[in-house]
Amino acid sequence: MMQRSHGFWVEAWRRYRRRPLAMAALAFVALLVLVATFAPAIAGTKPVLCRYKGQYYAPCLGYFDRHFEPAIFTKDKFRGTYPRNLAEKDPGSWAIWPLFFQDPYRSVRADEWPGRPENPAMDQGRPSWTNPFGTDQAGVDVLAKMVHGTTVALLVGFVSMGIAGTIGIIVGAIGGYFGGWVDMLTSRLTEIVMCVPTLVLILAILAIIEKPTIWHTMAIIGMTGWTGIARLTRGEFLRLKGSEYVMAARAVGAGPARIMLRHILPNALAPILVPITFGIASAILTESGLSFLGFGPPPPSASWGSILNGARSNLGMWWLVLFPGTAIFLTVLAYNLIGEGLQEATDPRLREARK
Amino acid sequence: MATYLLRRLLLGCVTLTAITCIVYALARNMPGNPLSAQMGEDPSRKITAEDYARMQRAYGLDKSWPEGYLQWAGNLLRGDLGRSITRKQPVTTLIGERIGPTLLVSGSAFVLIWLAAVPLGLYASARSGSIDERATSLLLYALYSFPTFVAALFLQVLFAVWLRGTAWELPLFGMSDLPADASLGPRILDVARHMILPVTCQTYVSLAYDSRFIKATMEEAIRQDYVRTARAKGAGPWQVLFRHAFRNTLIPLVTLLGLSLPALIGGSIIIEQIFTWPGMGRLFFESIRERDYPTIMGLTLMFSVLTLVGQLLADVLYCLVDPRVNVA
Repeated sequence: MMQRSHGFWVEAWRRYRRRPLAMAALAFVALLVLVATFAPAIAGTKPVLCRYKGQYYAPCLGYFDRHFEPAIFTKDKFRGTYPRNLAEKDPGSWAIWPLFFQDPYRSVRADEWPGRPENPAMDQGRPSWTNPFGTDQAGVDVLAKMVHGTTVALLVGFVSMGIAGTIGIIVGAIGGYFGGWVDMLTSRLTEIVMCVPTLVLILAILAIIEKPTIWHTMAIIGMTGWTGIARLTRGEFLRLKGSEYVMAARAVGAGPARIMLRHILPNALAPILVPITFGIASAILTESGLSFLGFGPPPPSASWGSILNGARSNLGMWWLVLFPGTAIFLTVLAYNLIGEGLQEATDPRLREARK
Repeated sequence: MATYLLRRLLLGCVTLTAITCIVYALARNMPGNPLSAQMGEDPSRKITAEDYARMQRAYGLDKSWPEGYLQWAGNLLRGDLGRSITRKQPVTTLIGERIGPTLLVSGSAFVLIWLAAVPLGLYASARSGSIDERATSLLLYALYSFPTFVAALFLQVLFAVWLRGTAWELPLFGMSDLPADASLGPRILDVARHMILPVTCQTYVSLAYDSRFIKATMEEAIRQDYVRTARAKGAGPWQVLFRHAFRNTLIPLVTLLGLSLPALIGGSIIIEQIFTWPGMGRLFFESIRERDYPTIMGLTLMFSVLTLVGQLLADVLYCLVDPRVNVA
């Protein structure tokens, strides 16, 4: 009996798994996803779960969206400080608190949590037991800011590269498949976007948008970062459109859309995924660079780059550089390592060299 | 070759028109204009409504952006890049002032990068797989992922705050602290001291990238049949590496050189902004903030021309280095 051979992606995964650094990078990104998902339960000043006046509430959801915070706490004038208000307004209440009692958006006042001192402000907030990563000029805890900023770092990578990947694949596929004047047009389009300095394009578009949010930034990074993907996709489609299986598909009457999507794209996907992974790393770099220059999302979005921006005016506050800087570095490194692992696992030319 | 160049030139002109048109439209649609941006910074400069209207007319800001663009393009064809509105100087003069400092930093970085990247890449491919090579490669890889602005801040904290008062202290900002009439010797020394941190920041990322690139192309070359032939006829390992493999990696290297042209002259916006280095990148950033349309357009034109010329240069050099390749 013949043994059924493994599919391409199973093979690729087996090769990927053999690279310890690439696996460590994957684990690191998984850890970031966990931190981002459970950020309100890791650091915050709102209870994860509490029983108040006979009802169960989860005020910590307010960190995801203001509207998720139960209305009763606004009505009872909690004003964001839970520990004392819960005890005073309902002595029978209880609550499960986040692991780390610090808020990413405001300074924690003295005795807000029994026995906890006020966060130091200005340049006094060097790392201590209450604030392991220190506090910024406004007295906001850096660790809490970073935990909540993980969401931004992850979303920027995925959303902007999702957009860039879609545009790049569509433009490249159309140009490569149809060729001729269509290719001429798409190639010019790619060239135009490539020639304008990205940062300038982003700064100008951000200025035009009236109220830029983090989502605008992601969309713009995506809309300017697709050129490399388009060029690569075009090359792959040019190479594959003459192959026999494409001719066979055309012979049985498949339309161009079907041939491109069902026949060529799956075979071109592996080499395209590699620049997309590297693109995630550079999108994170671009976003934190923008925030660092002061063009980041407005508060309350906490981005790692905006913490760095605070250090520019006062270099003595080294903790504002060290911790977020290391976080950005490790995340970028992780994505680059994943991209490298993916390349080695899927590129047959590199594979043969290893034998 | 001549028809190929002509074709590329024509296509380049089409691309340039599209780019400048898009950037002009974007620039003109940013909220505010050079006059309001200046007044926002300095309330004492408030002027009456009539004066404002008169100045708008004088600078052509009362026209719609398509009209303004046509006017800009017409002046360009006559060889006139216009005058900066906020700095009251011709754009060409401004660029001329800023190109020197940028070339100083990026040129030094460029020389350092290639002086170090070629030996590093060769070393890595010669000792491929050994422990010291893997450690070096990993270190270079980490450096490649290290964001420049984080590195710049680290270096600033290290050399300006922690080493303050020691012989190692380095200046943080600007290009020179000495007055313009200081004698040449101390001035050169002073500028050199100011250059160390920006040059370091600009060097390390490209160094890591380029040496990895050289290693990758070398590994590709080593697998070729002619290398096996060279080994078989008894050439030594270094001779194989230099005479046979490295020569053939020059082709992709030449492409890389061409593509690094815009960054070489355009400078880095972020690095020049952090170290307040008076170069092109900083001028670009400031002109966007000041809504100084003529300067934005002049710099955009320069960047795009450089990018296009870099690509063309890469393709043409490719043919010169590799006689097998035919552009047409």
